[in-house]
Amino acid sequence: MNLKDDPFLKISNSILNPHITEWQKYNKKIIGHYCTYIPEELLYAADLFPFRIRATGHEDTTLADTYMVRFTCSFVRASLDMALRGIYDFLDALLVCNSCDHSRRMFELFDLKVFRRKGFTKQVPRFYIAMPHVITDEGFEWYKREIEELKENLEENFIKRSITDEDLRSSIEIYNKNRALLRKIHELRIIDAPKLTGTEALQISMANASVPKGIANNELRRIFNFLKEKEGIKTEAKRIMIIGSEVDDINFIKLIEDSGAILVSDFLCFGTRNILDDVKLENRNTLLDSIIKRVYYRTSCPRMMDDHIRRLEFLKNEIKNAQIEGVILQRINNCDLYGCENMMLVHELKELNIPILNVDREFYQADTTRLQTRIEAFIEMIS
Amino acid sequence: MAKNLGLENRSIPTRILFESLSTLDQLIKGIIPEKEIPALRIGVEKVSSALKRKLEKAREGLPIIGYHFAIPGEYLSCFDCVPICLEGTGYYLATTLLNGVEKYYDIMGNWGHPFHTCTAQKGPMGMSLDGLFQFDAILAPTAPCDNTCASYPFFKYQKNFPLIIADMPFRKNENSYKYFAEQIKNSLIQVGNVIGQEPDFEKMKKHIEIENQVQQIRLEIFELIKAIPSPISNIYNAISAGTFILISGTPENLSFYKEMLEITKYRYEKKQHHGGEEKIRSIWPYMVTYFDMSLCEWLDRELGMSVLFDIFNYNFSKPINTNSDLDTMFYDMAKKTMEWPMVKQSTDFYYSTLEECIRMAKDFSADCFIFTQSIGCKQFGSFPQLLREALKDELGIPMLLIEFDVGDKRFTSLKVIKDKIKMFAQTLM
Ligand code: SF4
Ligand code: SF4
Repeated sequence: MNLKDDPFLKISNSILNPHITEWQKYNKKIIGHYCTYIPEELLYAADLFPFRIRATGHEDTTLADTYMVRFTCSFVRASLDMALRGIYDFLDALLVCNSCDHSRRMFELFDLKVFRRKGFTKQVPRFYIAMPHVITDEGFEWYKREIEELKENLEENFIKRSITDEDLRSSIEIYNKNRALLRKIHELRIIDAPKLTGTEALQISMANASVPKGIANNELRRIFNFLKEKEGIKTEAKRIMIIGSEVDDINFIKLIEDSGAILVSDFLCFGTRNILDDVKLENRNTLLDSIIKRVYYRTSCPRMMDDHIRRLEFLKNEIKNAQIEGVILQRINNCDLYGCENMMLVHELKELNIPILNVDREFYQADTTRLQTRIEAFIEMIS
Repeated sequence: MAKNLGLENRSIPTRILFESLSTLDQLIKGIIPEKEIPALRIGVEKVSSALKRKLEKAREGLPIIGYHFAIPGEYLSCFDCVPICLEGTGYYLATTLLNGVEKYYDIMGNWGHPFHTCTAQKGPMGMSLDGLFQFDAILAPTAPCDNTCASYPFFKYQKNFPLIIADMPFRKNENSYKYFAEQIKNSLIQVGNVIGQEPDFEKMKKHIEIENQVQQIRLEIFELIKAIPSPISNIYNAISAGTFILISGTPENLSFYKEMLEITKYRYEKKQHHGGEEKIRSIWPYMVTYFDMSLCEWLDRELGMSVLFDIFNYNFSKPINTNSDLDTMFYDMAKKTMEWPMVKQSTDFYYSTLEECIRMAKDFSADCFIFTQSIGCKQFGSFPQLLREALKDELGIPMLLIEFDVGDKRFTSLKVIKDKIKMFAQTLM
């Protein structure tokens, strides 16, 4: 067995995969979303398959450029472009939240331009949840109300009955298992001789976000068992951590790894950040509360305005634990959230005496040579 | 005296702004004929007068509280303090200083603030990095945009200014207003804790009442703009934006609008147009150029193009009830804040803004829209084309899109902006 040719990892290369077709064969529904701030366990309990919208490999934004000015994130633009071309027609529902100014406006654009375009007749329910931008008790209560409302809407639109505790419990179990498996794989990444490359790790998490979690868990278990026995990668490559905007394309990661580095950790929403926290089942909470608590209080992203220090502390620890030799901060142009967060990290991480590279890029590989030169110079600079 | 000046220097940009406005005031009085450009004449005088009082208070040692432009400044009148609007100060300096505040954009850029972030925050951040601001506390909401959420932590973590955040929901319904009402109240209490004062809500009421009157007058003016020709000058929009962001809740703000109403009524009755002849009536759903307000006069006088209103001048809410209990007052305060420029559009889906634009285009007999898309403002990044299509389909009127930066002329120069508008205007006439 070789991870390079593993069919599960290959799922990350394209949007559609056989599990989507299989799921829909039984009239089960798929809900598209953009963000980790959604209660996936609840969606799964409503018999929905939450599919994280990606734009992997899509380099053209011609159609989307009509609707989104060039100051917007090229990842979101690329995903809209795909939707306008019908690539996301397989979605049966859409859930948008106010993650950032770019992705939250996908609600209106999908509503007006994708789902109402000529010739498209499918009825696609759309949902929106408003997340607070701070982590407080009142914010939690607000968010809880949003999710309770979402639950009612899901019940009404899809299963035509109440989502039971049993549904929730089994969904929580599957998702907790999923994160546990990903964490175990992550552990094999940060050790002295990593068992997998950063490219492979990203492929695993992208594939994981593109298939129902029941199936993903079997695959992850298989991959973990294989990796556990596998010999570690003995390499002189520099141990790098990557932080920042959306990365859902292995080409960018490959570019870094081909420059003499190995990515042993990350702080990306398609990566480590999403697997750190589990749903904790405590007697004093309802199951739904427990789900909501995880999403709301978990390790945040820069959209949370008051949680910078917690993120910084996590990074400092991870840099130490994973014996990181250099940090790459990256942002997709026009991503203000990561742009500002990275700006502060450049100054704050200095105290660790660790080399830092702060790069901006387009989502698609538009400026490969410039990026490659900068990355190679950075890796070379790490003594 | 030296000690007092030291205290005043806790907000040097306010002093620079005061001094530049005072000079401008003298220039206007000395050079421009008495009845010309009244919005500029009166506005500059009133803002200078209110700033002078702020500086006096700073000299007395009162705490300096910075506030984000989406918090109406009168809410801070529950404290004995010097309230300073960060974005308002930055953009007004961009207007009044010869080279704007580009130096501070560059300071911040060199420090790592990305080029695509909003200059509304970038300016005050650069000034803080340069040691020009010493805030005792800063009050900011979580709306209207990513730039707000992403930039304000800098003040807390890099400058150690206590940052108090009022979370504003990105949704408009009864729950939102109640939630945000609590957020405003609690954040004011927190500001009080930081500066060691109890908020005096009775005192705040008086200033809120001033703004209730202001709002009423602004609405009257807004109604009069429906007339052909428009009885306001284009520069009224820019000046009005400045007064209610910088000096809201002050007697000067009220007297500015009172005087403007009289002038507007007079012009309305006489059917006078500021530029001589009105040829084109335009709506600017976003902003005019702050780096050079002369654009307003050029449009009026050279093109005969009226700017009926911009984003700062089509936001209204019902008066805040100050006669009932505190909860009612805070509820109304929340509602008002969520109708604030940019916040109004950002805490809701685009649909209501689209409908509003269509309705306003009809009510105000607009010939066209000019959408200035600022590089920082991603919350509007997917709006222009939707608006353009809606205007074309529903009313058959065109829209010009200009990409620019509100405060930085280097992004799109005034010349390029004028050329674009000139060419667009030719297609209309
Ligand atoms: S990369 Fe930034 S701008 Fe793009 S979707 Fe993510 S948070 Fe939004
Ligand atoms: S101009 Fe746009 S980006 Fe700047 S503060 Fe206003 S809403 Fe935010």
